[in-house]
Amino acid sequence: MSRQTIPDLLPGTLDLLILRTLQTDPMHGWAISERIQQISNDVLQINQGSLYPALHRLEHQGWIEAEWRVSELGRRAKYYRLTPSGRRQLAVEAGEWDRMSAAIDRVMKFA
Amino acid sequence: MKLRDLKLRARALFNPATVERELDDELAFHVECETRKLIAAGLGAAEARRRARARFGPVPLAADQCRDERGISFFETLARDVTFACRTFRRTPLAALTVISTIALGLGVVTVAFTYFNMFFFRVDAVRNPDELFALERPTRPGYHGHVPFTRTEYEAIRRGTNVFTDVAAARPSIATRINGRAARGMFVSGNFFDLLGVTATRGRTLTQTDNENSGRPVVVLSELGWEKFFATDPAVVGHELLVNGQPYAVVGVMPKDFRGLSQEPQDYWAPLALLDQIRHAEKPNEVWVDVIGRLKPGTSTPAATAALTTWALAEPAIKKPENGALQLYLRESRGVISEDRGEAMVVFMPILFAFGLILMIGCANVANLLLARGLSRRREIGVRLSLGATRSRIVRQLLTENLLMALAAAGLGFLISRALLAGSVHMALSILPPEFVESMDVVLPPGDWRVWTFLFGGSLVATVMFGLAPALQSTRLGLVRAMRGEMTRDSRPGRVRQMLIGSQVTASALLLVCAGVFLRSAYSAATADVGIRADDALVVTGMTESARPALLHAIEQHASIGLVAGSWPQPMSAGESVDATVGDTTLGLGYRLVSPEYFDLLGINLIRGRLFAPEERSPAAGVVVISDAVAQRVWPNRDPLGQMIRLDATTEENGDPPVPRQLFAVIGVVRDVHSALTMPSFAYSGIYLPIGAEQPKTSLVLRVHGNPDTARRTLLDALTKVDPALGEITTMRMMARLEGAVLEVIFWIAVMLSSLAMALTVSGLFSVLSYLVEQRRKEIGVRMAIGAAPRDIVRLVVSQSMRPIAIGVLAGGGLAAVTAIVLLSLPAAEMLGATVHAFDPLAYVVSLTVIVATCLIAAFIPARRAARISPIATLRAE
Repeated sequence: MSRQTIPDLLPGTLDLLILRTLQTDPMHGWAISERIQQISNDVLQINQGSLYPALHRLEHQGWIEAEWRVSELGRRAKYYRLTPSGRRQLAVEAGEWDRMSAAIDRVMKFA
Repeated sequence: MKLRDLKLRARALFNPATVERELDDELAFHVECETRKLIAAGLGAAEARRRARARFGPVPLAADQCRDERGISFFETLARDVTFACRTFRRTPLAALTVISTIALGLGVVTVAFTYFNMFFFRVDAVRNPDELFALERPTRPGYHGHVPFTRTEYEAIRRGTNVFTDVAAARPSIATRINGRAARGMFVSGNFFDLLGVTATRGRTLTQTDNENSGRPVVVLSELGWEKFFATDPAVVGHELLVNGQPYAVVGVMPKDFRGLSQEPQDYWAPLALLDQIRHAEKPNEVWVDVIGRLKPGTSTPAATAALTTWALAEPAIKKPENGALQLYLRESRGVISEDRGEAMVVFMPILFAFGLILMIGCANVANLLLARGLSRRREIGVRLSLGATRSRIVRQLLTENLLMALAAAGLGFLISRALLAGSVHMALSILPPEFVESMDVVLPPGDWRVWTFLFGGSLVATVMFGLAPALQSTRLGLVRAMRGEMTRDSRPGRVRQMLIGSQVTASALLLVCAGVFLRSAYSAATADVGIRADDALVVTGMTESARPALLHAIEQHASIGLVAGSWPQPMSAGESVDATVGDTTLGLGYRLVSPEYFDLLGINLIRGRLFAPEERSPAAGVVVISDAVAQRVWPNRDPLGQMIRLDATTEENGDPPVPRQLFAVIGVVRDVHSALTMPSFAYSGIYLPIGAEQPKTSLVLRVHGNPDTARRTLLDALTKVDPALGEITTMRMMARLEGAVLEVIFWIAVMLSSLAMALTVSGLFSVLSYLVEQRRKEIGVRMAIGAAPRDIVRLVVSQSMRPIAIGVLAGGGLAAVTAIVLLSLPAAEMLGATVHAFDPLAYVVSLTVIVATCLIAAFIPARRAARISPIATLRAE
């Protein structure tokens, strides 16, 4: 199994993954990419160069907001948190994703 | 765009240092985390750091992409480009200065035309809600152009009876009067005029309803212009008196500068409509015609209002109906700019604007050529930037920003140039035009308002694209490696663009020069045409108060410089009226003129045969006529006209013009034709002279003077305005004869100015391009000479390079001139022009095009000679 670099996978999925990762706790950028990598069993590796532009874009859209906190390493880090409107956006995109993957699933099985 | 987004953008824009530091921290933190993770996995510190960095990729690139997400990169890039451009300007100030001054010249010239254009079409009067103001008009027939003006009685009925307007005012603009002996133009308005327009005076007050009730003291409100003219902007003007046509009027106020009273001509003053009777004795009170101007009630549409007004007018007995009973009123926008016949006015203005715009175009072509050349010398710089990772569009954008900056500077300078040119043109007009013209006409400098600035801004954008786009694209199209080495490559030699630029410049110059040639020839033939009148020592007195006529005649006879006095209706050199003439059983319309017996002698209209009027024949009732040669040829070809009888139809007596009785007239003499330079064909037949006396009402007086007619005119004007303060005008015949050709002369001078500018720009452009090319090809030319090329071959080589675009340009320019002439002459509005302008004059074409080719060849020859003097040894050694 080869490793996938997002967002080569599907356009827009990086945003969805970031929003989903932030659903429970605020995190900084490195933690987000680590979490995605862990949970996907190293299948999904985020292209670091595109992670931060994506974070900044989401911040500008008002779906996440940033806060400077002291990290576990004792250094100041920028933590991102989901906003209420980000939560709504996540619901929309997650629904969209379900629909899409179910559709692809069906095609793969029955076509 | 959400509020949060705006906040973030504003923070990035106004607090860039913090935002940048945060970005750096954030990215550095990531690398730090990654490194620690790798160290924890057992790597050495240095190796861990290297891998973490490699994994992250280029940090500046990620940072740049983050910056793009901020949405202010546009401004940041702009700021950077502007700083860079300023540095470039400082390094090569001469190039920047050349570009700015060339474009400024072009923009300034085209802005001159636009400023006039603006004055006539866009400069809406400074009144409250001008969009609601309409003039009510009554066409002679439904759908017709001409209209029957309303009388004051009808205006009163409209004001009382209609309900689509919030209010209706009446105005009679541009009444020629004399104030303290000087010609002045006044507008007579109803009492509610100023309230309706919603304007207030800067000093004193405006006119009110009470001023319009005949009881009060006559009052007047001055325009800024009138205030300057008659009181030299004396701040204590209110309460002073003026003599309007000899009657004392008290000044009650001064209007603001921008206010024109919905008229396009500048007015000197506004006076109550009720006082118009004093000024206009001839017209019956209440039959004086007026413009009716109303303010539509808010929310009323024009069609609905027109329909309501027409229905009302059909039922209203006070409104006069046309003879066929079909009445269809209509509303015309009344905002102080041209609203009637806009199309026709555009036909006159668009070619002028276009001709002025050509200068800008040629200037842009020059600059484009310059930038192409500079692009070659900046190749190394651009190559370095491309190889450092700048995209081509990024560099094009930077170059365009640089060009736009220069164009904006040029727009500012262009405004100053246009003001100077306008002031110069007004000054020149004042010194060239005859004094009688200047006195009765207020020549004002058209204002440069915000519309002119908008035009300049738009013009600089257009100019940037015209002169900057092609060079920017051209100079960024290059092979990286070779560019870095500073090598000339074939694909980056912008020969074709350059040739196109030269070709279009030559085309535009040829077009303008042909126009100049055509108008020169037309003006010359108009000026030298024999009008058949002795105009050098005659004056014409028009528009006198009839009750003062005997006293005026007496004063004229007493005046030292006057030799002979004759009467004429209408005044000499005017087109005149036509009457139905019947000879045998054919009837035809002939122009006619009533003149006193002295007229022929005074104006040198020679007798061909028969006799002139006898001194006692001073009324049409004498039953005799003198005809012009053209009429004799037309009515009695091959026969002796003397003693023939001609029946003239009675003319209707309007405004007290002298009547012609319906009766038979005997032809007693034939005189030479009188032509007009401008209207030659139609004027030739206007040759039936009937007798009248100078003492008859409405006749204008023609005087022979001794000595200088201008001096005589001035002394006579002083003497006669004492007798009749309302005297119309005294004009020299010379100036009346000249005025006909003056229109052509003005156009000719404009064309000469434009085409010489165009030529100068084109020639300098051609010259600098060829010089540059010679410099570029120095090595090649040296080699050519070393292997045996003669200097003559080198000259031919260089000159031939410019031959093709010049040839194409000359042909295209000539063709374009002819096509423009055909298109313009096919328009009905240009009919009169077509009769006088010989648009296809072959001589004008040949001479103009030869001049262009010759000048271009000279411009090409100088660099070619320089090329031929290149020493092959020196160039080869320099390698």
